[in-house]
Amino acid sequence: MAQADLLERIYFGLCAVLAVAGAIGTVAFPNPIRGALSLLFSIVAIAGLYLQLHAPFLAAIQLIVYAGAVVVLFLFVIMLIGPDAIPPKDSRALVARVTGGIAGTAISLLVIMVLSRKTFPRIAPIQAAYGSVESIGELLFTDYLVPFEVSSFLLMVAIVGAVAVARGKQPDPQLTKKPDADVAPAAEERGAS
Amino acid sequence: MEHNLFAKPDDWFLLGIILGLPLYGAFFNGVFGKRFGRNMVRAVGVGTVGLSFLTAIFTFLQLHKLHHHAEAAAKTAWLAANQGKTLPAELPVASSKLSWFAWKWMSMATAGGDGRLAIDVKFSVDELSGVMMLVVTGVGFLIHLYASSYMAKDPGYHRFFAYLNLFIFSMLTLVLADNLPVLFVGWEGVGACSYLLIGFWFDKAENAAAGRKAFIANRIGDVGMLAGMLLIGYYLGALDWDGINHNADKLLDPAARIAIWQSSGKIITISAATAATLALFLGCTGKSAQIPLYVWLPDAMAGPTPVSALIHAATMVTSGIYLICRLNVVFALSPFTMMIISITGALTALFAATIGLVQNDIKKVLAYSTVSQLGFMFLGVGVGAFGMGFFHVFTHAFFKACLFLGAGSVIHAMHARVHDDVASQDMRNMGGMRKYMPWTYAAMGASTLAIAGFPLTSGFFSKDGILFKTWGNEVVHPYVATAKSLLELPECKANAAAPKCVAANNVLHAYWQAPPWLGKVLFAIGILAATMTAFYMFRLVFKTFWGEFKGWKVDESIKLATNPFENVEPLEDGDVSYGLATTTHGHDAHGSDEHETTDPRDLIEGERAPDHAHDHHDHHHEDLTVPAAPPAEAPWQMTVPVAILGAFALFAGFLYAEALHIEPIGHWLAPVFDDVVGKTVTMSEAAHHLEWPLMVPGVLAALIGSGLAYVWYVQQNEEPAKKLAAEWPRLHRAAYNKWYVDEIYEATVIGGADALADGAALMDAWIVDGILAKLTALVVSAFGAILRAFQTGVVHVYSAFVAVGTLGLVLFFVRPHPDATVAKEGDTYTLEAAPGIGYEYKWDVDGQADKEFVTGEPALKRTVQVPLDGTKKVTLEVKNSFGRTASHTFTLTNPKPAPVPTTTVAMPGAAPRPPAGH
Amino acid sequence: MIPIPAFLVLAGILFGIGAVGFLVRRNVLVALMSIELMLNAINLTFVAFNRSFPNQHTGQVISFFVIAIAAAEAAVGLAIVLSFFRLRKTVRSDSADLLKN
Repeated sequence: MAQADLLERIYFGLCAVLAVAGAIGTVAFPNPIRGALSLLFSIVAIAGLYLQLHAPFLAAIQLIVYAGAVVVLFLFVIMLIGPDAIPPKDSRALVARVTGGIAGTAISLLVIMVLSRKTFPRIAPIQAAYGSVESIGELLFTDYLVPFEVSSFLLMVAIVGAVAVARGKQPDPQLTKKPDADVAPAAEERGAS
Repeated sequence: MEHNLFAKPDDWFLLGIILGLPLYGAFFNGVFGKRFGRNMVRAVGVGTVGLSFLTAIFTFLQLHKLHHHAEAAAKTAWLAANQGKTLPAELPVASSKLSWFAWKWMSMATAGGDGRLAIDVKFSVDELSGVMMLVVTGVGFLIHLYASSYMAKDPGYHRFFAYLNLFIFSMLTLVLADNLPVLFVGWEGVGACSYLLIGFWFDKAENAAAGRKAFIANRIGDVGMLAGMLLIGYYLGALDWDGINHNADKLLDPAARIAIWQSSGKIITISAATAATLALFLGCTGKSAQIPLYVWLPDAMAGPTPVSALIHAATMVTSGIYLICRLNVVFALSPFTMMIISITGALTALFAATIGLVQNDIKKVLAYSTVSQLGFMFLGVGVGAFGMGFFHVFTHAFFKACLFLGAGSVIHAMHARVHDDVASQDMRNMGGMRKYMPWTYAAMGASTLAIAGFPLTSGFFSKDGILFKTWGNEVVHPYVATAKSLLELPECKANAAAPKCVAANNVLHAYWQAPPWLGKVLFAIGILAATMTAFYMFRLVFKTFWGEFKGWKVDESIKLATNPFENVEPLEDGDVSYGLATTTHGHDAHGSDEHETTDPRDLIEGERAPDHAHDHHDHHHEDLTVPAAPPAEAPWQMTVPVAILGAFALFAGFLYAEALHIEPIGHWLAPVFDDVVGKTVTMSEAAHHLEWPLMVPGVLAALIGSGLAYVWYVQQNEEPAKKLAAEWPRLHRAAYNKWYVDEIYEATVIGGADALADGAALMDAWIVDGILAKLTALVVSAFGAILRAFQTGVVHVYSAFVAVGTLGLVLFFVRPHPDATVAKEGDTYTLEAAPGIGYEYKWDVDGQADKEFVTGEPALKRTVQVPLDGTKKVTLEVKNSFGRTASHTFTLTNPKPAPVPTTTVAMPGAAPRPPAGH
Repeated sequence: MIPIPAFLVLAGILFGIGAVGFLVRRNVLVALMSIELMLNAINLTFVAFNRSFPNQHTGQVISFFVIAIAAAEAAVGLAIVLSFFRLRKTVRSDSADLLKN
């Protein structure tokens, strides 16, 4: 038993360290590519933590969606932007940044302080099906059907929106057509009086 | 009682007709006059006043009947009470009155009296206002008739009659009012009409300025009038004549004294009576042109002559004396004010006479003579001769109106050829007019005799009556009068040491009294002024009517048409003529009419009347060496009123010839002044005997003045006058320039007002605009600048703010809050803790502590009993869902309530009446 | 058995790092990645709390939806970043200050 315990702790510690290191890397690296890769490490570590929390389905989803899609998307965009993704350093709005930093740190410290005192009753043992694909899937299609469908709708909207925003403006030949010759004088007349 | 149509003396609606007819005339002429033309305007304007006069006569006759009845009743009552004795010559008669209640106006709550002061629109006629009413409507009618011809060519004819009718209405309101507020309405109305009529030809700036000056001087006086009214209303609780006369004693209350000076322990107080009467007198000086507010009257000659005659001779300027006569009971309460009035009157009389001595404009001489005569009237009422002072009003109306109208006829005749406004009124251009204008000469001569005070004329009786009473009258404080009468009682004559006799003795010298020599001094001043009056009035007559005509070369063979109503232009609204309209004269008397086109009327309106070529007086100078027709006698509409007034001037004196004991007016007015004359205003027996001897100085004054004028102006052809003017040029110039009073006012009062206005403008520009406006703008923009700094447009900065805000929220939620509300009911305190999510509560009530944290409803409330003046402690400890705890201690006390004070409020109200009955 | 507060503290640390990173870094790409980090921390919190309820999966389902929405949001956000970059030729968020004052 102690060995299982120890293994658990080592595993937890590894994942935790990896997650934190990845997080720090995300925010610290000036080069966003390195930041994205750090994020990847962090996400993978969190997936590992999910596994420890008996949420295998979620861990799989995390890896597929986050690591496999979101981070890849980030990398695509960074590479699309190119070298300008690393802007030169300047110290604009230092005050705001420092204030923000301090506020953020304070918030997180408080939250940590609060959460760390929380006492939980003895954790009950769970069944094997806990957190499995079947159980979550069943929930998704019964109790949480509406949010499920709505989120699919949301994803479609997001796709359309992303395409529309990212496409940028192209001159529309319809809009740039010259006005008709016989329409113009009437407008001029009306405008002159 | 009476079986006629108008039975009820307290609902005499004819008063409404007397008032309403001129008002209707004003309305009609003002609104429809232009449309209906001159004939209609004339008919309505003159006719309404004429009808009003007839109604006034009828009313007066009815009043006379009532008075007669009252006299008879008094006689029978006296005979019944005093069997077998003979009737005394003078018996006190109650005053009779016809009144008409038009409508309720307002009622105010007052602190004293019976709590409500009702002010109603109510009109009444008694003996005093009856005479005044007849004068206003009668003389007014004659002047309307005169003006219908005098103003015949004026394009503002309808406007003139509208204003004139409105004036009659306002003056009647003043005279027929039954209380002070309605009188004040009339007071202001005549002031407004005076302004409108003085500035009738308003295109000339000086006419408009004269109108303004009159109105403003009047308004300054009105401040005093209002103050006096308020004081009377406050102390007496009544503003109508009956109420005032009844309650007048309250003004003398020792509690009603007003402190006017306080310094280091010494307080000077005046009685409320003195304060109120002085304030009212200020109003009188404004309206009746006394020192210091007389300056508007000479300038008012800028108006048409009928206006000068009506307003500034006969009626409006006499309002002040009317007011004093009406409130004689109140004025007699303050011997100090009476002294001020008499001194002011005498000084004004003298002062104005000195100015009138050297004027050349015929109307200005008459204006200063009016101011001087008004001074005489005030002198009369100031020494307590109310009846005689009012009689002088009566006679003055006749002779002064006659003089003004006559002067108007003369000016009218001069205007035929002398078109300049100033030159046609200058006496140096006149002379020898008695040949050409015999009727006018006769009437003006008669009036001059009257104003100078020749024996047996009306002016003689009234002026000499005033001067006699100035010498002999004594005005005493009512308490002193009561004390004196007490000391005359047989018991005090027998035993002078009785307590009430001693008290009466002390009162004798406790109240202020005018020095006994004052009457003599004022008499001397009056005689001096009378001498000057005779002199300058005869100077006027001699310069105008005697000697050689200096206006233009006269060819006696050319005759003028005298119909004033031919060849008149259509009426124009809001338009002016430039002075007097001319009489028609043959158009061949002029050469060709080459006319300039800078017609000021063109600048006012676009259209010109078709044929007014001859009315451009200032642009068109005739060649006066070309012989032309002589100055013409005025048409009958102008001459007849002048003649009628002249006749009255000569013979009206016998209505109150006191020396001859022919006193119909004296007897008639006696009921109005009975409360005062004989009681606080007395004349000693010794002084009574001086009546005939004191006439001698008056007659001498008239003879010396007129004689000197004759010698200088007829025999020696003005040489002595010119020599005197050359020897004392500065004195002559000072008198000619009215002793520079206007300039002094300009420099001091008006300059002060201007400086104040300039200062206020400066303050407005610097302080209000500069500091206040700019400062507030600065503050707002500063705030804006600060707030704008937060709007960086960068999302990250905004999110930093969000983070800070969230931090605040997190802090709030992380800490537990042991809040509780405390409610007190009698001696029981209820504490209710504020609910929170996941909160647990632990109470400690006065030493009794809960064992553990509890959640749910019962944990929220706790009650505690706190005895009176005791203290208890309650502690609340909370734990939130994060496991953090906090506690708060409540200290509850129950103090004794403060004792309730008993209140004693002193109610202001009617002070106790004086001990000596009045 | 790892006590659940450990997970919570870890999630708190991750959230803090993400928050500070978002507030301090002005590179929009890094900001977006910090947002993803914060969302992950939230997910971890939910799942950790859920662990104490043996019969419910509410927390995990919530996390599931959060992941889906985070993905959508990342897509749209990156599209916006691309447009912004095309306009301003930079990825500093300070340049997006047209709303200044």
